[in-house]
Amino acid sequence: MTEPLSNVLLKVQDLRGWYDESHVLHGIDFEVRQGEVVTLLGRNGAGKTSTLLAIMGILAKRAGSITFNGTEMISLQPRQIARLGMALCPEERGIFSSLSVEENLMLPPRIADGGLSVERIYDLFPNLYERRKSSQGTKLSGGEQQMLAIARILRTGAKFLLLDEPTEGLAPVIVQQIGHTIKALKDEGFTIVLVEQNFRFAASVADRHYVVDQGKVVDMIPNDQLEENAQKLHDYLGV
Amino acid sequence: MTKNLVISTAVFAAMTAAPALAQDISVKLGVLNDRSGVYADLSGEGSVVAARMAVEDFKAAENGMNVEIISADHQNKPDIGSNITRQWYDVDGVNAILDVPTSSVALAVADITAENNGVFLISGAGSTALTREQCRPTSVHWTYDTASLANGTGAALTNAGGKKWFFMTADYAFGHSLEENTSAVVEANGGEVVGQVNVPFPNQDFSSFLLQAQGSGADVIGLANAGGDTVNSIKQASEFGITQAGQKLAALLMFTNDVHALGVQTAQGLSLTEAFYWDQNDETRAWSDRFMEAHGSMPNMVQAGVYSSTMAYLAAVKELGSAEDGKAIVDKMKAMDIEDPLFGKVTVRADGRALHDMYLFEVKTPDESTGEWDLYKEISSISGEEAFLPMLEECDFSKK
Amino acid sequence: MFELLGVPPQVLLGQLLLGLINGSFYAVLSLGLAVIFGLLNIINFAHGALYMAGAFVAWMLLNYLGIGYWPALFVAPLIVGVFGVVIERTMLSRLYHLDHLYGLLLTFGLALIIQGLFRNYYGISGLPYQIPAVLSGGQNLGFMFLPNYRAWVVVASVLVCFATWFAIEKTRLGAYLRAATENPTLVGAFGVNVPLMVMLTYGFGVALAGFAGVLAAPIYSVNPTMGEQLIIVVFAVVVIGGMGSIMGAIVTGYMLGIVEGLTRVFYPEGSAVVIFVIMAIVLMIKPEGLFGRTA
Repeated sequence: MTEPLSNVLLKVQDLRGWYDESHVLHGIDFEVRQGEVVTLLGRNGAGKTSTLLAIMGILAKRAGSITFNGTEMISLQPRQIARLGMALCPEERGIFSSLSVEENLMLPPRIADGGLSVERIYDLFPNLYERRKSSQGTKLSGGEQQMLAIARILRTGAKFLLLDEPTEGLAPVIVQQIGHTIKALKDEGFTIVLVEQNFRFAASVADRHYVVDQGKVVDMIPNDQLEENAQKLHDYLGV
Repeated sequence: MTKNLVISTAVFAAMTAAPALAQDISVKLGVLNDRSGVYADLSGEGSVVAARMAVEDFKAAENGMNVEIISADHQNKPDIGSNITRQWYDVDGVNAILDVPTSSVALAVADITAENNGVFLISGAGSTALTREQCRPTSVHWTYDTASLANGTGAALTNAGGKKWFFMTADYAFGHSLEENTSAVVEANGGEVVGQVNVPFPNQDFSSFLLQAQGSGADVIGLANAGGDTVNSIKQASEFGITQAGQKLAALLMFTNDVHALGVQTAQGLSLTEAFYWDQNDETRAWSDRFMEAHGSMPNMVQAGVYSSTMAYLAAVKELGSAEDGKAIVDKMKAMDIEDPLFGKVTVRADGRALHDMYLFEVKTPDESTGEWDLYKEISSISGEEAFLPMLEECDFSKK
Repeated sequence: MFELLGVPPQVLLGQLLLGLINGSFYAVLSLGLAVIFGLLNIINFAHGALYMAGAFVAWMLLNYLGIGYWPALFVAPLIVGVFGVVIERTMLSRLYHLDHLYGLLLTFGLALIIQGLFRNYYGISGLPYQIPAVLSGGQNLGFMFLPNYRAWVVVASVLVCFATWFAIEKTRLGAYLRAATENPTLVGAFGVNVPLMVMLTYGFGVALAGFAGVLAAPIYSVNPTMGEQLIIVVFAVVVIGGMGSIMGAIVTGYMLGIVEGLTRVFYPEGSAVVIFVIMAIVLMIKPEGLFGRTA
């Protein structure tokens, strides 16, 4: 479990974070390798979403170290972090109601070459193609909004994606579709950090799982050792 | 010994100082006006400059008088004006208060002045109440009042053939009283009022009202408003071709600085009444040039009035040998024959109203105007007795 | 020939047209306010003072540098806009995390200071600014004499309003702006420089005020209080249209100009308050404004 990881893209060390005065992250440590899908598992309020927001720089009051591709990001602004090739799909999806579907899709600026073409995106998400002229992004169904939220960060050239509970509140058939998408993205060379409550879904797409509890990473379980750690996970997650 | 020395030193000092003291009449003048608001250009620092010029020209020091001038901003608020006035009389030892535009403030100052037996030389304010309903034995209303403006403009234009009048009236007490005064004069001279419109105050855009005035078929459009409202109505009347189409505009309260602000291009052909214009004769020109040098703009009648009333006041003080008894000084002013370089022959009537000629001017056309300040041509003059309202019995202080 | 409440139709037509002209100023000014409120959440009380500054800058350009009306139409808003950027950078940007009230107080104070400065240097009587020669004179429309300059005011304001609407609703930059209005954090996390956008938006909003000031210079007296009188009405327009709604600000601006114009015919005394009466009614029936989105 402690074997050194090669090809580390993101390295988070002793990450602490605060919302105003309330201390939410108490020393998060984890690493993500190039091309991996890694999940952050944990109970509600464990600090998973806060970890993503801290990485992205949105949780501004933070300390410790976050290096991405060798660059220290702990004191960077969100827009600078985005320019390093990192993109967030937030928990509440963040679809803009005053923008049409197409505008939502085209909104995030291109920050590097090598993003997916619009054709390829419509290939992955045929529903969006049908609804692209829809006047308000928020008129889409929950599943379509989730796809739009993922789709729009694929265009930008960012190769490192932070997905915050992409399956939350969606019908099983759509969850399945999102699972396919994540696997397809992995094949395209994307690296993904996934925050999940849905353990089954996480198991179907991820390479490794970090367990977060009370603002700390308490364990790491590779996907292929899930069986033998099932009881431990039950205890962590209280499922 | 020491005590004696002190006393003898004091006696010596008193003796050496005594000759100067005996002659020195000390006078303190307070110029109270608007220094930052809508009437700041009309009165403001220009009035202080005018008062200072009067003290210089009177050669106060050579005449054994020690004159000091202070000034304050009443912000056009009666309560602020009253407080300053009280402090000036009670604490600062002011003998006379000058100028005071904004009638509501002037009315308050007139009362406090009477209580304190000071002197109130009014130039900026225009309300006829200052020598009628609220006449005071210590007030001298020097320059103009709304009735004299209405008389000047209303009578002259009606007699010149402007029989049909339409009023654009600022919808508050001042505007209505101006309209009322002028309507009376128009009708007394055989004219008629064909319509009027009450314009909200203050207002930016007068085009709707101007169109209504135009549609009324009136010969003269009377502007019963003041300040920025007047300026804007004239500017827009020119834009909509009202004057070019033959209707005359009559501004019922307007000053040189307003016309200057408009420029002759816009204001040409406008009729208005004033008590003073800088370019009337050699004396007014000479004085105005000095004023221009000191203040950076030509004087208007309010500032000229501050100068002239101060000159007359200082002459009365000199004759009495003291500035302490305000009523006595005003009585003296009423008894004097005043030959003023700016206003000509002036008499102060028993009610405090200064009588002098008023003039009807017409704003020159750009072709006629030879310079930035070459604004008016004189159409006619009206004697003081005609221009101002007759005295009310109860305001005849010579009988009290 | 019919008459409406004793008013002949040609008079009515004339007044409608005049209302439209006034509405042009309301539209351009309330548009600027709406753009600023939308992105910055600041109720920009300095808007009237900056409108006044626009007129004064036009006057200064002419009298100090000999720059005439047409170049001033671009240069003056630019200068006012740069001034706005300085205000945003040095003062407003410190207030974004606080309540609306702080921004309102700050901009109100700024308005008083700007006005006081102009009053101190240029007095209160106002300064003359001539209508450009090409636009002097007018057309006799039969029912009224329409000065060419007023016609130009309507054309210019419609053009500016349309261009602004188009830029915000139909372009990529506009999409950033609308998105940042909804969720600036997320837009920043996409790599967009939101603070820069906020700064330029404020600059653009006040430049619109400056533009309206230049438009107004030849017809209203250029004096330090010209904005103070107008701005309260414009605020009412924005409230009626819906805070932050671009289309709402434009349409309501023209509409209320016309309503006000008609009031001047039927009940002139009421023309100063009619807009506020409408505001009160709208607030009671549809508090988010005629074009506002419910939150």
